[in-house]
Amino acid sequence: MKNENKLKGKDLINIGIYAAIYCVIMTCIAMLGYIPIMMPLLAVFCPLVGGIPMMLFYTKTKKFGMITIMSVIIGIYLWVTGMGIWPAIFGVVFGFLADLVAKSGGFQSAAKTVLSHGVLCVMLFGNFLPLYIDREGYFASRQEFGQEYIDTLGNIMQPWTAPVIIIASFVFGVLGAFLGKALLKKHFVKAGIV
Amino acid sequence: MGRSILQASVTDRGLVLDPRTKLFMLLNMAIFVLGSAGGERVQALTPLFCAMPAVLLFSARKWKTAITFVILFILSYSMYTIFGPMTTGALHYILLGCSGILARFLPSIMMGGYLVSTTTVSEFTAAMLKMKLSEKIIIPLSVMFRFFPTVFDEAASINAAMRMRGIHLGGRNAGGILEYRMVPLMTCCVKIGEELSAAALTRGLGGEVRRTNICNIGFKVQDIIFIMISLVPYVLWILDIVGI
Amino acid sequence: MIEIKNVSFRHENADEGSIHDISLTIPDGQCVLLCGESGSGKTTVTRLINGLIPHYYEGEIQGEVIANGLNVTSSELYETAKIVGSVFQNPRSQFFCVDTTSELAFGCENMGMPEAEILSRIDRVTEEMNISPLMGRNIFELSGGEKQKIACGSVSALQPEIMVLDEPTSNLDLNAIEELKETVLKWKASGKTIVIAEHRLYWLREICDRVICTQNGRIAFDMTMTDFAALTEEERAAYGLRPLFNEKGVRPVGNFSGTKTMTLNNFNFSYDKDEALNIPKLEIPIGSIVAVTGNNGAGKSTFSRCLCGLEKKFKGTVTMNGETLKSKQLLKKCYMVMQDVNHQLFCETVEEEVQLGMNDENAGDVQKILAELDLDGFAERHPMSLSGGQKQRTAIASAMLADKEILLFDEPTSGLDFRHMEQTAELLSSLKSKKTVFVVTHDPELISRCCTHILRIENGRATEFYS
Repeated sequence: MKNENKLKGKDLINIGIYAAIYCVIMTCIAMLGYIPIMMPLLAVFCPLVGGIPMMLFYTKTKKFGMITIMSVIIGIYLWVTGMGIWPAIFGVVFGFLADLVAKSGGFQSAAKTVLSHGVLCVMLFGNFLPLYIDREGYFASRQEFGQEYIDTLGNIMQPWTAPVIIIASFVFGVLGAFLGKALLKKHFVKAGIV
Repeated sequence: MGRSILQASVTDRGLVLDPRTKLFMLLNMAIFVLGSAGGERVQALTPLFCAMPAVLLFSARKWKTAITFVILFILSYSMYTIFGPMTTGALHYILLGCSGILARFLPSIMMGGYLVSTTTVSEFTAAMLKMKLSEKIIIPLSVMFRFFPTVFDEAASINAAMRMRGIHLGGRNAGGILEYRMVPLMTCCVKIGEELSAAALTRGLGGEVRRTNICNIGFKVQDIIFIMISLVPYVLWILDIVGI
Repeated sequence: MIEIKNVSFRHENADEGSIHDISLTIPDGQCVLLCGESGSGKTTVTRLINGLIPHYYEGEIQGEVIANGLNVTSSELYETAKIVGSVFQNPRSQFFCVDTTSELAFGCENMGMPEAEILSRIDRVTEEMNISPLMGRNIFELSGGEKQKIACGSVSALQPEIMVLDEPTSNLDLNAIEELKETVLKWKASGKTIVIAEHRLYWLREICDRVICTQNGRIAFDMTMTDFAALTEEERAAYGLRPLFNEKGVRPVGNFSGTKTMTLNNFNFSYDKDEALNIPKLEIPIGSIVAVTGNNGAGKSTFSRCLCGLEKKFKGTVTMNGETLKSKQLLKKCYMVMQDVNHQLFCETVEEEVQLGMNDENAGDVQKILAELDLDGFAERHPMSLSGGQKQRTAIASAMLADKEILLFDEPTSGLDFRHMEQTAELLSSLKSKKTVFVVTHDPELISRCCTHILRIENGRATEFYS
């Protein structure tokens, strides 16, 4: 073989297939996010449930670049479905970092895989970013709604919640990876699809 | 709506825009509506931006989506003004939260809805090729969009199977509901995915040469009009920065 | 010319489909039928020729395959793709694009051909195969037969000299098979070398010149079609092969003696405004095995979904044993064994699986039912790790324990070889008089082995019902 580490057609198709499964699952969960109180909880549910398809995807990942591409196209998906451009940008950054982490474990190490998924999940914060950036500007343009409205919304999305969401994404990403690994062992290995 | 992602029918589609025009407008939504960039004068245009998806959806004859959007938007907008003063306490907060977040995300989501419901996978792929994106992104993306309906089909079959077995929320096996759903879904999708890969590879996907594309896309009069409109906020923004 | 030189292959993590030291030469323009039981290695041979082995399905391989001078075993798949075209079993999973025109262009686009060339090739293919009405359509909306035509067209557009078809009719109805036959005949007339691995043999009688049968990974026989046609059906059955000659007029087995009936009332259903089903009244003997036949799109699957109570808007009822069952109750009384059984296996072990949704009064019967269905040795196995037939039986066991009265099978024998088809027929026969069974099927051989009645559905109407 000429270059074992080059991504081939097979790898690219695999990325697409797992991304589709992942995005469908995420979209179903994100429907909960239309209830705004649930919105911060998406940082809990998405990484947790997403860990299941992702762990299956990680078993197919043997080359550098696959995780980066995966997160980029998830980012693009979020972008074209209207979640803004930040998920795509976060996708590039955290996908690449997650890829590096997984690579350092030779794409074999269980601990590094779990860690890598935790890092990957931080990209979800991109979805929340519009609620934090330029708060002043945003609320300034909504002056006609009155001060009370601004205070209330400000109360729901306090700046201190941003790091909480990031940390939650990471922690639940790690937990999701464990959940995914458990299911992998319980079902998919026996079913012969890993 | 998930089913209709990039599965547009090519008949009876009303005004057709180049996917790149749509992407540009979506980017604008992200920057100016979601991101609130551009200063005061641009922000004054926000209601115009919010009306844009509705106009586009109507132009593409997506009557149902367009009307749903308009109603939802008016509802969330008026939620505060009408029900806000009538409520107190927790309910008050919830109402405000709903209206605030919905009003902020809805236009962008609808613009996304317009993009994905009026574009075919081939057009999208062709647009990405013209934007000189790497095949390493284009191939997985087109597989993903191709695969969405399959995932939904599989999920629907599994759902039917679960109903026949009496597994549902509130049933006595509700605890395992996530596992019962995920395990067959993944197994089936992975198997179909393997077949899809095999079929694509035997037709030469992943070769050394750059792929061509027969899909005919290009900028037309309507594209230029919409791009011009979309450029307005940038002009205002620059004027704002240089202080005019 | 295809040369397979002393090839042995073993899959990475399975013994099934391994082959041992196979050598084969197929001259240009020859049309070869590969037959044999499931797992005997015929699919493996097709994958050797199109290069999926060893480039996609990995494993240990010895020997090499040369197709028209190209060493397939060592060349990359996209090189092989120019010479060998492949059509697969499942029409649902073998298209890459969403609309038909792009799908026809797909292979050519991969080769980086100029646009004008691709368009002229598409024109030629649509004309040759009479598929212009299908152009510009969403593939998800096409029937299985139409999808398979598009798959053939997409391969045709690449103009390969060798065509490999792996069980192409598994999911097709009789009309679609006829159409596929025409396409293959055209390929043959244009001088292409064709290799077809198949279970259903009758449609290939006029197509293939040579028949190769595989058994346990070796070639059992290699003879001309004339010699093969001279074998008796019994001799063919001994190799696990299905009949070569289609019995005219399928007749159900006649020995059914139940007297009680159930009545289907008002089986009407429409999707939006399109009427899909319209059966005002139908009497079905309780305990019978009813084959539900009809072409794709005739309303069979709507009928199944309504009967199982899966359509929430369905207003019809079933009257049986003095009870009138509406949609919601039907959901409790009926169970569908789906074409892809994997959709309905949820648990970690077979035992858990059959107990899920079980009527608690039947708790004592678990072992008995498992034994009846030959599953007693598998109670601790993961359902997904079983063979296709065992999965079907697991699904049946769970339906028995849940006290389902009506069982519905959706295409239970698609893609099965002779032996497995017979097993399924026996299994269905064993349910006779215990449960009322509906079998949606295109398989005449299955019907003539186990069904007591035939229900024919056309355009949503029950046109025939006889025993």
